Amino acid sequence: MRIKTYIFVVLALALFAAPISVQAKDDSAQNREYQVKAAFLYNFIKFVDWPKEKMADINEPIIIGIMGKDPFGDAFEPIKDKQVKGRKLVINRLKGLEELKKSSEKDKSKLQREIEALRKCHLLFICSSEKENFEEIIETLEGSSVLTVEETAGFLESGGIINFIMEEKKVRFEINVTATKRAKLKIRSQLLRLAKRVVEEKPSDEAKS
Amino acid sequence: MSILQNMAIKHKLISIIMLACITSLVLAGAAFIGWERSTFRSEMVDSLSTQAEMIAENCTAALAFQDAEDAKQTLQALHVEPSIVFGCVYNKDSKLFATYYRDYAEIKVHPSEFQEIGFSFAEGFLTVYKPIVLDGEMVGTVCLRSDMSPMYAMLKHNISIIVTVVLLSSFAAFLVSSRLQKVISGPILSLAEVAKVVSEKKDYSTRALKQSNDEVGLLIDAFNEMLEQIQQRDSALVDAKEQLEVRVEQRTAELTTANEQLTREIAVRKKAEERQAQLLKQLESTNKELNDFAYVVSHDLKAPLRGISTLANWMSTDYADKFDEEGRGQINLLLSRVDRMHNLIEGILQYSRVGRVKEQKLQVNLNELVPDIIDMIASPENITVTVENELPVIECEQTRITQVFQNLLSNAVKYMDRPQGQIRVGCVEENGFWKFSVADNGPGIEERHFEKIFQIFQTLSPRDEVESTGVGLTLVKKIVEMYGGKIWVESKMGEGSTFFFTLLKQKVGGKNAKPQASVVSRR
Repeated sequence: MRIKTYIFVVLALALFAAPISVQAKDDSAQNREYQVKAAFLYNFIKFVDWPKEKMADINEPIIIGIMGKDPFGDAFEPIKDKQVKGRKLVINRLKGLEELKKSSEKDKSKLQREIEALRKCHLLFICSSEKENFEEIIETLEGSSVLTVEETAGFLESGGIINFIMEEKKVRFEINVTATKRAKLKIRSQLLRLAKRVVEEKPSDEAKS
Repeated sequence: MSILQNMAIKHKLISIIMLACITSLVLAGAAFIGWERSTFRSEMVDSLSTQAEMIAENCTAALAFQDAEDAKQTLQALHVEPSIVFGCVYNKDSKLFATYYRDYAEIKVHPSEFQEIGFSFAEGFLTVYKPIVLDGEMVGTVCLRSDMSPMYAMLKHNISIIVTVVLLSSFAAFLVSSRLQKVISGPILSLAEVAKVVSEKKDYSTRALKQSNDEVGLLIDAFNEMLEQIQQRDSALVDAKEQLEVRVEQRTAELTTANEQLTREIAVRKKAEERQAQLLKQLESTNKELNDFAYVVSHDLKAPLRGISTLANWMSTDYADKFDEEGRGQINLLLSRVDRMHNLIEGILQYSRVGRVKEQKLQVNLNELVPDIIDMIASPENITVTVENELPVIECEQTRITQVFQNLLSNAVKYMDRPQGQIRVGCVEENGFWKFSVADNGPGIEERHFEKIFQIFQTLSPRDEVESTGVGLTLVKKIVEMYGGKIWVESKMGEGSTFFFTLLKQKVGGKNAKPQASVVSRR
C-alpha cells in the first residue's frame, strides 16, 4: 500500500511538473522579441570588423555589454557558450550611467574603472532606460571602437551606430554609417543591405567633427 | 565465322574491312558519347555547385537576420540561368526559408527531401545541396535543381551526328575497300581462273600472270613452276607412251617370231617323242620277246634234259656191271653235266621270272625270314652265321627277298676257305633307305672283278672247283634294282668281302605289321 501511494505521488508530481516547465519556456511575445534581438546582437559581431588594436590578443574574449535596465532575461542562454570570430563570448551586464555616477561619487578611480570596462566592450547594448544619457555615453565611448546598439527611435541621430526597430512584428534595424566610420568599424555590405535605413551624416557635419 | 569462310574472297575482304571499320567507329563514337555525357554531368554539377555556393554566400546575412525577402531576392538572381528550375534556402532548423521557381516549372518541381550536402541525378533533374556557413557555423542549406533536358538534347544531337558520321564513314570504307580489295583478291582470282582452265582443259601451257611481289606473287610463281613441271612431265609421258607403243609393237613382232619358232620346235620335239615312244615300245616288245624266249627256251629245254637224265640214270643202274671203270666214270660225268645243265636252265628260268611274274606284296618281318633262310642253307659246322642287329619289317614279294638273302648267304658259304668261317647279316638306316650288309671272312674279291661278278654267267673260279651257275648275283641285282635299290661289294683280298644292298624305306603300318608278317612267313 505504501509503495502504491508513493508511485501515485511521484506520477502526480511528474504530471504537474511538466506543464510548469513548459510554461516556463512558453515565451511571451516580448520574450521572443528579445531572443531574436540577442541572436541579432550575436550575428552583428560576425558582420562587423573591429580595428586591429581592439582585437590584438586572440585569447581575449569578445565582450557584449548590456548597459542599464536589462530587458533580455535569459535570452542570451542559447548563445552564451558559443564562439564568434574564433573567440569566446562574454556577456557583461553594466550599471546605468546615473547609477554608476551615484555609486562612485566617493571613489573617482572606481568610476574610471567602470568607464574603462564600458570602453572595453566590443558591442554595447544601451537599454532604453538610458535614453536620457545617450549622448553622454557615446561621448564617453569616443575613440574606443565600440559598436553601440539601441532600440529607441532617434538614437542614430544622437550618434549611435545600430538601432533596432519593429516592423510588422519583425525585428529590423537601422545603421548609421558615419558613426561607424567614426568608431573605426567596418560593417559588411551584406549587413548594410539588410538594414531598413542607412543614415549618412552630411559631409558638412563630418567636416565639423 | 563459318559464314565468312564460305564467302567469295572479294566479299570476305570487304566484310572484314567493313566489320573492323564499323566496330572501331562505333566503339569510338560510344566512348566519345560516354565521355561527353560524363563531362557534361560533371560540368553541370560543377557549375550548379558554384551557383549554389554563391547563393549560400549571399544568403548568410539574410539567414542570420531572418530576412526571407532578401533571401528570395538573392534567389531571384537565378533567373539568368534558364536551366535552373528551382532553388530554395533552408534555415538551420531545416525549415524552408526562401524559394524560387522558374515560372513554367512551378507545378512540376517540389522541394525534395532535405539533404545537407551533395548532389543527385533523378527524374531528369540534377539537384545540388550546399551548406550555408557563417563564421564556421552552419546556418542553413541552399538547394538548387537544374533541368537536364538541354543536356540530353545536346547529347541526342551529338549521337545523331556521330551516327551520321559512322554511316558516312562506313559507306566511304565500303567504297574504298571494294576498290582496294582488288589488290589482294585480283591476283588470287586470276590464279583461280587459270587453275580452273588448267583443270578443265588439261592445258598445261597456260601461265598465271604475276601482278605483285608479295605472298600471292610467290604463290603464282610456285603455281607457274608447278605447271611447267607438269607440262614437262606430261610431254615426257606422251613421249614415253609413243616409245612404249613402238616397243610394244617390236616386242609383239619378236614374240610372234619366237612363238612360231616355239611351235616348230614343239612339233619337232613331239615328233622326236613319238619316235622315242615308238622305239620304247619296240624295245619293250623286244625285251618281252627275249624274256619269253628265255623262259620258253629254258622251259622247253628242261623236258629233253629230264629225258637225258632219266636215261643216264637208267644206264648207270641197269648197265653198271657191263660198263668198265672208264665207262662208269663217263656216265657219272654225264650225270653231273646234266645236273649243271639243269641248274643253268633253272637259273635262267628264275631270272626271267623276276619282273615277269608278279606276286602279292606282303609285310615281311626279316627277323623271322632271315633265320629261316639260314636254317635252309644248312651250312657246315665250321661256319657260323649271325644276325648282328634287329632287322626291319619291309613290304615286298616274299619269294624275291628270300632269293636275295639265299643267294648272298649261299655264296658266302660256298666260297668260304677258312676253318672257322663267320658270316654276319646287318642292317642300318641311311638317308631314307635300309642298308643291308652280308659280310664274310672268306677269300675276298679283287677290285677289278667288283663289276664283273654281277654279270650273268660270270664265275670267278672254274666250274669244276665250285659248282656255280653264274646267275645268282645277277638275279639278286635284278631284284634289288627292281625295288629301287642298289647293290655293291666291298672287299679286300684275304680278309673277306661284304655285300651291301639298299631298299627304299617304306612307310610301314608300324608295329601292327609285325604279327601279320609272322603269319605270312609261316604259311
